[in-house]
Amino acid sequence: MTRPSRRGIEARRRMVALSMLAPTLTGLLLFFGYPLVASVFYSFTRYNQLQAPQFVGLLNYRFMVTADPQIFTAARNTLWFVVVLVPARIVCALMLAGLLARAKTAVGFWRTVFYLPALVPPVASVVAFVFLFNPGTGPVNHVLSWLGIKGPLWFNDPAWSKPSLVLLGVWVMGDMMIIFLAALLDVPRELYEASSLDGANGVQQVRHVTLPTISPVLGFAAATGVIAALQYFTEAAIASQVASGKITVGGGSGTDLGYPGSSLMTYTQLLYQHGFANFQFGYASAMAVVLFLTTALVLVLVMRRIAVFRPENNS
Amino acid sequence: MTSRVHSSRPLLWVAEHTALVVLGVATVVPVVFVVLTSLMTSDQALSATIVPHPFSWDNYTHIFTQLPVARWFGNSAQYAVLATTFMLASSIPAAYALSQVRFRGANLIFTLIIVTMLLPPQVTAVPKYVLFSRLHLTGTLWPLILPNLLGDAFSIFLLRQFFLTIPKEYADAARIDGCGEWGVLRRVIVPMARPGIASAAIFLFFSSWNDYYGPLVYASENERWWPIAYGLATFRGQHGSDWSLTMALTVVIMVPVVVIFFFAQKAFVEGISLTGVKG
Amino acid sequence: MRRIVSSLAIATTAVLVTAGCSAGSGGSSGIDKSAPDKLSGTVSLWHFFSDQNADVMKQVVASFEKKYPDVKVELHDGQDDTKVQKAISAGQPIDVAVSSSSQPVGSFCSSGAFRDLQPFIDRDKVDLDDIPPAVRDYTQYKGKRCTLPMLADSTGMFYNTDLFKAAGIASPPKTLEELEADGLALTKYNPDGSIRQLGFNPLIDFYENGVGHWQPMINGTFLNADGTSAIGGSDAWKKLITWQKAYVDRIGYAKLRAFTSGLGQESQASNAFFTGQVAITIDGEWRVGKITKMKPGLPYATAPSPVMDGVGKYGASSITGNVAGIGRGSKVPELAWALLKYLTTDTAVQVELGNGVSNIPTLTSALKSPDLKVSPVYKTFVVGAADPHTVTFPATPDGAAYLQTFQKAWADYQEKGGDVNAFTANLDITIDNASKLAGP
Repeated sequence: MTRPSRRGIEARRRMVALSMLAPTLTGLLLFFGYPLVASVFYSFTRYNQLQAPQFVGLLNYRFMVTADPQIFTAARNTLWFVVVLVPARIVCALMLAGLLARAKTAVGFWRTVFYLPALVPPVASVVAFVFLFNPGTGPVNHVLSWLGIKGPLWFNDPAWSKPSLVLLGVWVMGDMMIIFLAALLDVPRELYEASSLDGANGVQQVRHVTLPTISPVLGFAAATGVIAALQYFTEAAIASQVASGKITVGGGSGTDLGYPGSSLMTYTQLLYQHGFANFQFGYASAMAVVLFLTTALVLVLVMRRIAVFRPENNS
Repeated sequence: MTSRVHSSRPLLWVAEHTALVVLGVATVVPVVFVVLTSLMTSDQALSATIVPHPFSWDNYTHIFTQLPVARWFGNSAQYAVLATTFMLASSIPAAYALSQVRFRGANLIFTLIIVTMLLPPQVTAVPKYVLFSRLHLTGTLWPLILPNLLGDAFSIFLLRQFFLTIPKEYADAARIDGCGEWGVLRRVIVPMARPGIASAAIFLFFSSWNDYYGPLVYASENERWWPIAYGLATFRGQHGSDWSLTMALTVVIMVPVVVIFFFAQKAFVEGISLTGVKG
Repeated sequence: MRRIVSSLAIATTAVLVTAGCSAGSGGSSGIDKSAPDKLSGTVSLWHFFSDQNADVMKQVVASFEKKYPDVKVELHDGQDDTKVQKAISAGQPIDVAVSSSSQPVGSFCSSGAFRDLQPFIDRDKVDLDDIPPAVRDYTQYKGKRCTLPMLADSTGMFYNTDLFKAAGIASPPKTLEELEADGLALTKYNPDGSIRQLGFNPLIDFYENGVGHWQPMINGTFLNADGTSAIGGSDAWKKLITWQKAYVDRIGYAKLRAFTSGLGQESQASNAFFTGQVAITIDGEWRVGKITKMKPGLPYATAPSPVMDGVGKYGASSITGNVAGIGRGSKVPELAWALLKYLTTDTAVQVELGNGVSNIPTLTSALKSPDLKVSPVYKTFVVGAADPHTVTFPATPDGAAYLQTFQKAWADYQEKGGDVNAFTANLDITIDNASKLAGP
């Protein structure tokens, strides 16, 4: 093959590949590139969709930093979920996967049992949990009272509402557990045998063989978990609505935003409230830009470290 | 982490299996409570009884006769089926191009797709909303369905992961036989990647079926387009209902998901494992 | 890289282009010189009522259709303000929309989401003097009349007569001191120290408690004439906040919170006032209808809200209500106006609606009508609505967001306490900043 014709083949192949990607590239531009730029633009305006955007300079950002009574609470709550919910899910899912990997009996059955909650539509599982943990009337506190324990107010107490959602998060950890289980079963047996010969006990094996080998998977779970926690919305919003018992038709948020006592008001709920309940598109866009920068920072920190996100796997 | 513990340490074996059983029960019990409550009268649901007395199917009758559940299901099905079909049409070729075709620019495109997949949807929510309202599509689920025609980032990522497991030699052989890239995709890759395509389809189907945020933003003002998840979320407010009724609706929403899962379990498990492990 | 830059440039241009045009056309584009003789076509009506109340709307609409046989009304029930605004912004042709509160009047009028009704009113010589002054006030924004009132809510006090008798209290409290004394006398504790029965729940976020509904206690105002917050400069608000905080502390915040969380749903038969768990509540007239439906035998009476001695005006209530307007995108404005006029300015219709959904009619003629069903417990609210000192809360472009801000801040203060001057001064800053964000 001569060089020019080889280049011709490559060029043609590139054209075909790009044609296969054409819809996707259009999508990236239309639903990613454009909205990102537009968000930045709107963030410098006052805009309610009924009148044309009005340029207000840094007003939105200034309000955010100096005057918004809610944004720091919202950011703190979100950070709480990042710091507590994500590790709690990882640790529990890992221990459960470890248990399943050791117990050789009926692994398929157990996997199904533990995966099922993850299938339940989130709205349904939150509604169910708020009912189960309802202070006066729910079964959980009934059962606790038979054991002589006075149950807390769960979703109705600002101190317990977030931990209650962590319980829910752990209940639905099945997807994470399956990833860990697959990774654990992939750890080559020779590694264990070699370390056994070196006289390592069980705990040491976990530390020096298991964890290092599956660390890419843990990294993946942590990264996607943090990003999911940064956008934590549905569970918190529904829990507030249902627990407050004062839901307005249509829901989402409203005066009971973050009930009890703002404890479940997450950043994305506040963004929704400003954007789609109060129609302050300018301010909501400023919040979106800040969220974007935060997520981008996380992405920069983790992208290169996680194998499956690396494009080099391409060829 | 192997079966060797089996024989050597019976006590440990017992402890592990006891733990599994206890955790398994703890996992299932909430669902049992929900089902039991759905069979109670509303007064009973507030009392300390756990077992319905008598078992009452009234809540289910009420749901199907008094609520537009059929329409909610229909909307959810339309959203999930169309979104999935559109996604497959757009994302299979994209994933193929990014996994089986070597060309300059592939890395950049792949990185962009990963970034889109990981960015919170709220970041782009306002301009997208404005865009769709200019197109007079708000108040429907179309803003959630149509974009799938232009590729779905997570699906492309997942499909690509599957396609990468197919050795490039198959495609090369087909090329030597004179197949164009579209031919290779259709005759070689798609048949070999059926399980992968099934998992991608199931994932998108379920995330559409379960979606609450999307319909909240785009369709909340139009009851005719409410999907089932949104219907449940608004149900307690609108009908001032009681817990047993709410739990019955919760059960009704869970059932189809669980049924589909049992038929497609393998595709599920493979798909989940592949998102994080291989590649 | 160059490709990214150029695509960003394209995207930016797109933003500027789409941002330039605003949704839909409309505004108060020309109307017919005289009311059309004959009406025909389809007109859509979006309202927030649901369940039985939606049925009442259906009946009223049926009589409208009888009056105009060629007109068909398309009903959309259960639509809250957010949804209505979403639909209007997206250019959906909403003809008539009924909102459950006056809070969006500011944003709907100033943004043009609802069209100006003045041309119609002038042409058809509608007599707005039949609408009580406070009601006329909350349905317009800065002189622009884009809504008309369709029923209103007024507040008052509900008290359980059996519990009063058992505690030896002869008459309902008229001042906050009496309210506190009666409330504490009616509060009973369990052996473990938790509350069993609460006389009056002072938590500002309990059921219908709230800054709007407590406003008559001190004849309070929220905003100065220039639109800035009036709370920090008001001794009355500070006294009310201090009184409430002291009350909360006498019982204990934690105890109150624990008790409140275990209570039933406000809108249901498990409402704590229905069950006798709470003896005195500040609530609205609609609760009378709910009690009739859900708890017919409840021994209760009503009275005006107690007031702070020397500050509030006894007999006054807080009034606000449903507002109705015509969406900017309406393609059949004449039909919409006919329906709106029918719902809001026809005395017989107002009486029928008022009786049907147990809300206060918004026409003086309907309030005086012998057909209006006014039971002794309901009378408190009808009289309260017409009281000269009855207050309402002004509209702002951000949908009276100061109410929520105040409420949330107070909910925080009742738990944590602190210097009330610093608290209200901060609140002023927050509210003023937020209204700067929302714009004029």
